[in-house]
Amino acid sequence: MDALTTMIYRQIKRFTRARSRVVGMIINPLIWLVFFGLGWSRVFDNPMARMVFGGVDYLTFLAPGIFAMTVFNMSFMGGVSVIWDKQFGFLKELLVAPASRKAGILGRMIGDSLVTLAQGAIILALTYPLAESLRLSGFIPALGIGFLLSMAFLGFGVSVALKMESMEGFQMVVMVIMLPLTFLSGAMYPIDTMPDWMKVLAYINPLTYAVDGARHFLIGEHVAKFALVTDIGVLALLAFLLVGIAMIEFEKATIG
Amino acid sequence: MGDAIIVENLIKKYGDFEAVKGVSFRVKQGEIFAFLGPNGAGKTTTVHVLTTLLKPTSGRAIVAGHDVVKEPMEVRKRIGIVFQDTSLDRELTAWENMYIHGRIYGLKGSELKDKIERLLKFVELWEFKDKPVKTFSGGMQRRLEIARSLLHEPEVLFLDEPTIGLDPQTRAHIWDYIQAMKEEHNMTIFLTTHYMDEAEQLADRIAIIDHGKIIAEGTAEELKKLVGNDVIYLKLDTPEELKCLQGEFIRGCKVLPDGRVALEVDNAAEALPRLFELANERGIKIIEVTYHRPTLNDVFLHLTGREIRDESPENPMAAFMRMRMRR
Repeated sequence: MDALTTMIYRQIKRFTRARSRVVGMIINPLIWLVFFGLGWSRVFDNPMARMVFGGVDYLTFLAPGIFAMTVFNMSFMGGVSVIWDKQFGFLKELLVAPASRKAGILGRMIGDSLVTLAQGAIILALTYPLAESLRLSGFIPALGIGFLLSMAFLGFGVSVALKMESMEGFQMVVMVIMLPLTFLSGAMYPIDTMPDWMKVLAYINPLTYAVDGARHFLIGEHVAKFALVTDIGVLALLAFLLVGIAMIEFEKATIG
Repeated sequence: MGDAIIVENLIKKYGDFEAVKGVSFRVKQGEIFAFLGPNGAGKTTTVHVLTTLLKPTSGRAIVAGHDVVKEPMEVRKRIGIVFQDTSLDRELTAWENMYIHGRIYGLKGSELKDKIERLLKFVELWEFKDKPVKTFSGGMQRRLEIARSLLHEPEVLFLDEPTIGLDPQTRAHIWDYIQAMKEEHNMTIFLTTHYMDEAEQLADRIAIIDHGKIIAEGTAEELKKLVGNDVIYLKLDTPEELKCLQGEFIRGCKVLPDGRVALEVDNAAEALPRLFELANERGIKIIEVTYHRPTLNDVFLHLTGREIRDESPENPMAAFMRMRMRR
């Protein structure tokens, strides 16, 4: 239990110390929100377009997507950064300690997830004044969706990092995975208007369910594609599996 | 006194590459034991096996009474390690680094806080306790890591290249701490190094390792004996025929072409006063004395035909990170 709480404490402490990095992390989604979102929102400011986006303005449609994208990007990066930590950092300490490795890495993931959610919450809060019809009551439940999403991708990132031998593969994995998943999530345009082959990819993309789940809470059922139960079910199952795999992988981890 | 570390025919392979090719040794309780060898000799790999971070391909290793493969948790409870590459949280303060380590090892409350204070004072970092580690010099980071490794009072402490990349004064300072640790806590210390002077200064016994094999083992004195005796060179003010001195401590005597006398002795430092007495008794006047003692470098050269040099590091990235982290 000590390893779990201590690692949560460590991740949060580190986050509060690296303020410049935090600002840098928030800039990226902010650029998407303002320069991409605000720009297109004028183009889509007509009844036809509103129909495409489920009857809401574009920024309202985009907001859950930007939130999910922020959480997803930072969780995945945070998970993969374990490779850095394993080779040059504190994880060696954890590996050699007489504490439960599973609890330690779970603590790290929960800590990172909380940190990620804090940043996601800031982005979401900044979106409210810009978008027309976001529900205030959806804020906290949307963070719940964000938590499941971030745990899933932290788990995935940690597992990938533990399998990677060097830093060289790092950039590759990030490039190959992050951008397509973002575009194929329905965050920026509806899934229904995608070509069929692209729809298939969107359906198997976990991020799709996070964006959809966040829309349920932040806008309403009418803009969502799947049932809320489906969104939460898929995310929870994925988080459970991927975190589980990461914990088992870390238990077996060696260095050298 | 039992053995703190027992290693029998330890082999570690990475694919086809055999990093450790069957090493066996024992380290007594309360002893400082050094693994001396060039980079890539298998030192760090051995440390990683002994600290349960790597599984050996074959062979057996018992650390602090427990098998590293069968009972890794029992071993982990009883060991501390200072890694070759720093594993500190650079963003966090010295105190926070200590605190997190202590918590992970199950320490808490005032017991933990007292220990942190005592150890930070021991390594003279108490006044910097609230400064982030990234502002620390390389030597300060090493001291903090040493303090951290002592928090849970390990029976066996592993130091992997404890002074790599540090300047000579800082190195001497770190040595003082290592000596003090041994004396105050009667701790068993397993140390790897590629610095001859470090092994000689600190270690009770030394194993010289090269290409994954132990090629010699013993005290520094015993190892030097492998190369030969100490040699005392004398310039004497006596007629030619009297030059070779006789004495029970003199193992051999030779007159060199330049007129000097070379005496082989077991220990030049002890032999010199007796030599002066002898010369005095016989009324021989000594004009000049120099002596040569074999160094561990001579031993390594003798055994391998090469010198231990600071060769290119095994992992360029690690070297780069060291530069970055130990400014």
